[in-house]
Amino acid sequence: MRDIFIVCNNHEELGGLQRWVHHVGGLFAARGHRVHVIGVTHAAEPHDYGRDLPYELSVLHDTPPPSRSGGRLRAMRRRSVQRRGAARLSRLFRAARPGGVIIAAQVWAMEWVALADTAGMPVIGMSHESYQATKASSRYQRVKRHFADVNRFLVLSTEDADSWARDHMSNADFMPNPLHVVPSTLPDLSRPVVELLGRLSFEKGQDMMLEAWAEVTRSFPNWRLRLYGSGPDEEVLRHQASDLGVDETVEFAGATADVEGALNEASIFALSSRMEGFPMSVMEAMAYGLPTVAFDCAPGVRELITHESDGLLVRPGNTTEFAEQLARLMSDEDLRAKLGRQARTSVRRFSADMVTDRWERMFELVDR
Amino acid sequence: MTDVSVIVIVYNDADRLPAAVRSALGQSHRDVEVVIVNDASTDGTAAVADELAMAEDRVRVIHRAENSGGCGQPRNDGIAAARGTYLMFLDSDDTLDRHACRNLVAAAEEHEAELVSGCCWRVYPDKDEERVWYRGVYRERGVYASVREYPELLYDTLSTNKLYRRDFLDREGLRFVERLHYEDLLFSTQAYLAARKIAIIPHRVYNWMIYEKAETLSITNQRAELRNFSDRLEIFRRIDAVYARYGADDLKLSKDVKFLNHDLLLYVRGLRSRDDDYREAFLALAREYMATIDPRAYDEAHELQAIIGFMVAQGDYEGAVSAADYVGKGKTGKPRLTAPLVERDGRIYWSGDHLDTEQGRRILDVTELGIHSLPLKSLNPGGSVTEMVRDGRVLRLAGDVVNPLDRIGAGVPLSARLEFRDRSRTGRFFAVPAEVTHADGRLRWTAEVLPGRDVRPLGFLDQSWGLRLRLEAGDEELFIRLFANQPMEMSVPVRPRLTRLAGDHFEAYIPENGEMAFRLVAYGWAGRVTLATLRRFAATGRGRRWWTALLRAERRWRDVFTRRKTKIAVYNRLFVRLPIRRDTIVFESHLGKQYSDNPKYIYEELRRSGGKHTAIWSYAKSPAGFPKDARLVRRGSWQYYLALARAGYWVDNQGFPQDAAKRPQTTYIQTWHGSAYKRMGFDDPELKRGSKARRSRFQRTIDRYDAFLIRSEHDARTLAKGLGVRAELIRSGYPRNDALVNGGDTAKLAEQLKLTGDERTVVLYAPTFRAGANGKAQKKFEMPFDLEEFAEELGETHVLLVRPHYLNTAVVPPSLRGVVRDVGAVHDVTSLLLLSDALVTDYSSLMFDYALLDRPTVFFAPDLEDYVRSRGTYFDLRKEGPGPVLSEPDELFAALADLPGLTTRYAKKRREFLEKYGEYDRGTAAKQVVDRFFTGDSNA
Repeated sequence: MRDIFIVCNNHEELGGLQRWVHHVGGLFAARGHRVHVIGVTHAAEPHDYGRDLPYELSVLHDTPPPSRSGGRLRAMRRRSVQRRGAARLSRLFRAARPGGVIIAAQVWAMEWVALADTAGMPVIGMSHESYQATKASSRYQRVKRHFADVNRFLVLSTEDADSWARDHMSNADFMPNPLHVVPSTLPDLSRPVVELLGRLSFEKGQDMMLEAWAEVTRSFPNWRLRLYGSGPDEEVLRHQASDLGVDETVEFAGATADVEGALNEASIFALSSRMEGFPMSVMEAMAYGLPTVAFDCAPGVRELITHESDGLLVRPGNTTEFAEQLARLMSDEDLRAKLGRQARTSVRRFSADMVTDRWERMFELVDR
Repeated sequence: MTDVSVIVIVYNDADRLPAAVRSALGQSHRDVEVVIVNDASTDGTAAVADELAMAEDRVRVIHRAENSGGCGQPRNDGIAAARGTYLMFLDSDDTLDRHACRNLVAAAEEHEAELVSGCCWRVYPDKDEERVWYRGVYRERGVYASVREYPELLYDTLSTNKLYRRDFLDREGLRFVERLHYEDLLFSTQAYLAARKIAIIPHRVYNWMIYEKAETLSITNQRAELRNFSDRLEIFRRIDAVYARYGADDLKLSKDVKFLNHDLLLYVRGLRSRDDDYREAFLALAREYMATIDPRAYDEAHELQAIIGFMVAQGDYEGAVSAADYVGKGKTGKPRLTAPLVERDGRIYWSGDHLDTEQGRRILDVTELGIHSLPLKSLNPGGSVTEMVRDGRVLRLAGDVVNPLDRIGAGVPLSARLEFRDRSRTGRFFAVPAEVTHADGRLRWTAEVLPGRDVRPLGFLDQSWGLRLRLEAGDEELFIRLFANQPMEMSVPVRPRLTRLAGDHFEAYIPENGEMAFRLVAYGWAGRVTLATLRRFAATGRGRRWWTALLRAERRWRDVFTRRKTKIAVYNRLFVRLPIRRDTIVFESHLGKQYSDNPKYIYEELRRSGGKHTAIWSYAKSPAGFPKDARLVRRGSWQYYLALARAGYWVDNQGFPQDAAKRPQTTYIQTWHGSAYKRMGFDDPELKRGSKARRSRFQRTIDRYDAFLIRSEHDARTLAKGLGVRAELIRSGYPRNDALVNGGDTAKLAEQLKLTGDERTVVLYAPTFRAGANGKAQKKFEMPFDLEEFAEELGETHVLLVRPHYLNTAVVPPSLRGVVRDVGAVHDVTSLLLLSDALVTDYSSLMFDYALLDRPTVFFAPDLEDYVRSRGTYFDLRKEGPGPVLSEPDELFAALADLPGLTTRYAKKRREFLEKYGEYDRGTAAKQVVDRFFTGDSNA
């Protein structure tokens, strides 16, 4: 029984990281730990994560702290605001009994943890995206600076951990996301529907999905492509679909909260992203026994899917190959059933129990 | 019980011991104890160690009564005293990474491994530098039930970057051997073989500190080195015994291969700077050991390393050392060809000796290295100084240069200059004239120099000077570094520019790399005092820091000046404000690598039409082959950027430097270099998946074009669209193809290729670009069919011209000279197309151009499916190609044997192909472009 502090940017928004925070918070609490989830700031549009949660929630700043940009004066103000937040954090930490542990779930939140008095507790840092994605962004320098001295720096897959280790982060290790759905009904894989869930945005690559779709749809006129999600690129994508002449067979289904309902309508799941971390959507699809066709765009994707065994991987950006693999699945119900079945089995490696056990071992390790 | 015991051995190292111990105590994993074993140090080490133990409960000290002279005994003492579940070894001058124990213990427990090994870094505190040790072995984590699943691990022979389960060492009775050097090698081998589970992690665990040592080798040092070598061989023999015990023949073989590739090479490389006694003793030891080597090792070792081993076994000193010279060594050690080589029965051999056995011929056959067809300028023949005589203030020097395979013919006019070059600054030298002549298979050179007048070092900053011969042989220019075969005692007066205090004489010496060099020394009393004081100061910590800082600042300044980034910045901020010169045109073909393709034909048309423009051609490496009546600038030089900034026109077929902005007043004519079969630009998966930033960077590059040449509407739909071209499309066809429509003269090329009067059918084989596994150009192109077989089947009736893509090279053995010609060095492909009777290609865009000639084309594409899948293509080659698509060599030879049949069978397809993909090639492209942009009325 430990005191576990999870510090993140905010825990109120509707997003992948927040879902993760509330999920593991619940899992730790269920193992008897005293969990405290701390957001640095409030979300602009808070999502309802329920009441009577088995863990405590706190927010350090009522108003968002000043951003990094701007002149010297602003930097000074930012520092003083940050110090006040860190002092609040220190007070929360001080309440911990021996054996406590701090998880800094994001690098921005880590800035506060670094300023706070951690009361001798080990700090575990985390990055929820692939090494390549971080490397390509401004977060790279910050990750290297702020996470250099934490006790353990966790990323989502072994391959990402190894990349960080080679890049002078000798505290790098991995911790996969736990599976967070428990299917009550499974799709029967007979409906002619290919599905993709994700924000309509450049990163998620729906433009490449449409190109691939244009190459298969002629041979499979009764099949539909259903794109769940909303986002900034919706207009562009609708235009592209009509330019490609596929608007008849592509449905823009909008955002949905009913994942189970959505996945039960499909026979094939597609992931056309340019960048990913450890894609939860693929994990869900696997849990529901859907065969997945995915661009091999991140180590997390490779860690989830073994090509030809529990899904199909395609070289990133190769839309022709993507189309070929879709066509293979669309024309072969047995193959769909086989890959789907194996996906359901293999995704159990990331069951909540397995991943929580790994966390428990991690807590013991950083204590030694 | 403690998790980890770190055993720190120390001998006379009081200064550094505390840092080592602190690195163990400061681990993020706190459950660590330290056992210091003091090997009877005679300095203050004992006291320092005791102090460390006093201050911290987790530290214990063992003082040995007498010195062991090695690392084995003290480590064994440490093992005996250790209490941890796991053990680690740390040397007193090294340190552990802060998370070493945590990572190693985590891996050991997660996988129940008995041995866990992590990455070691070599740290050079003097140079403020660090390098990873065997990253290839430590790329990613792994778990192995035996080292035989991962034999690469044997390359890492350290015992220190590892964590051992204590009970594992006890079970196997594993301890260090005593009274021999290289105890690590034996210990790590035994541990690898005995462990039932081994885990690997890519994390840095160990910092191996390397401090600079004095460079020169005294006699005693040499003797010590020989003793070390014999210890090393003894350890190897014992390792062989370990392998034998485990029945691990495969591992012995890989160890032998490593011995050839690595160990032996290191020693043989050093032989050049050792004396005769040493060489003899070394060879005797090595030769004896070579008898134990598995003969298969020669076949698995690298080509040259196998030769070294073989030559050592034969007792052929020159043969061994010359092979070592030709093994490259990082940036500075370019491969140097010091063996003359011989040609026998159409094959090339390293030496004319030892060819009487099958083994000898196999090992010494170096045809595949392609030295016989390498361009002269990349040959890098070895040169040496054989005589050096001082006559007053004058220095007379003489020496020779190897002439491999008589590549520098007797008829070629020769001239040379001898250069004294600053060894720490490229491009700074003083030159004097030299005489050079052919003499018994070599080139002999002589020169006379008055160092006091001809060579003017600054002093202090430029202490060391090397010798280089700049040789002109016909059109080609070679730079040959001069080496010394034995030490020469010589000094001669010089006058440093700064002050005599910096020295007054040049003294000959041989630095580590074996070069003939001079260093500045002082004989006058003032200089002697100054230099000695400076050297003493430089040896102190602060002095060294100052000195390094000074040198570093100087180097940084030079780097900044020559860096591409600097030039681009100056270009974009300053050069583009200079006035434009409307009538200058910068031409470039394939990034300056050739004088060829569309830009060449536009240039020639411009000259023919009497255009008064100033033409500037960019060349990448050598200006040889570029037109004499144009101004030539080296790509990437300051002049190049200046020319680009001020030009009225840019004409090229691939791309001027990406980040150089094009000014609105400049007209950029992008001719491109071929129609597209594979997907291009935004249609290429690589760019399709790319980030927004990358895609817009690409678009910006393309948006510099003002005009884009196309050959058909197919180009407009595929190439231009894929690249995202928004410039005007010029429907002129390709200037390089005018000759294919109008006919052209091939007599000169035929003569150059010795094909004049040859009645045989000429087949051009021109495959497309091949990338290696790393995505970069494969340096050596692997022929997908056997050239010998081609010669056997078709040699009587056909000649094969091999032209790999310009980024790849192919090797044609001399025995096939009569049948196969390597035409990779011919810049201009158009004349090759004209000369040939048939084309064999896979996916090269030459297929589109060749269609204009209406001659037979054969597609030899064994990897078609894979190519189509991985890159994506714009049409189906099997359906639309103007010739058969084949994948078996037999099919290829059969098709070539019956070219007339092929010609008739594919006549219709060729016509359709041409109509669809070459509609605008009418033979007037160059004229259209020149009229439109340079001489037309609108451009008067």
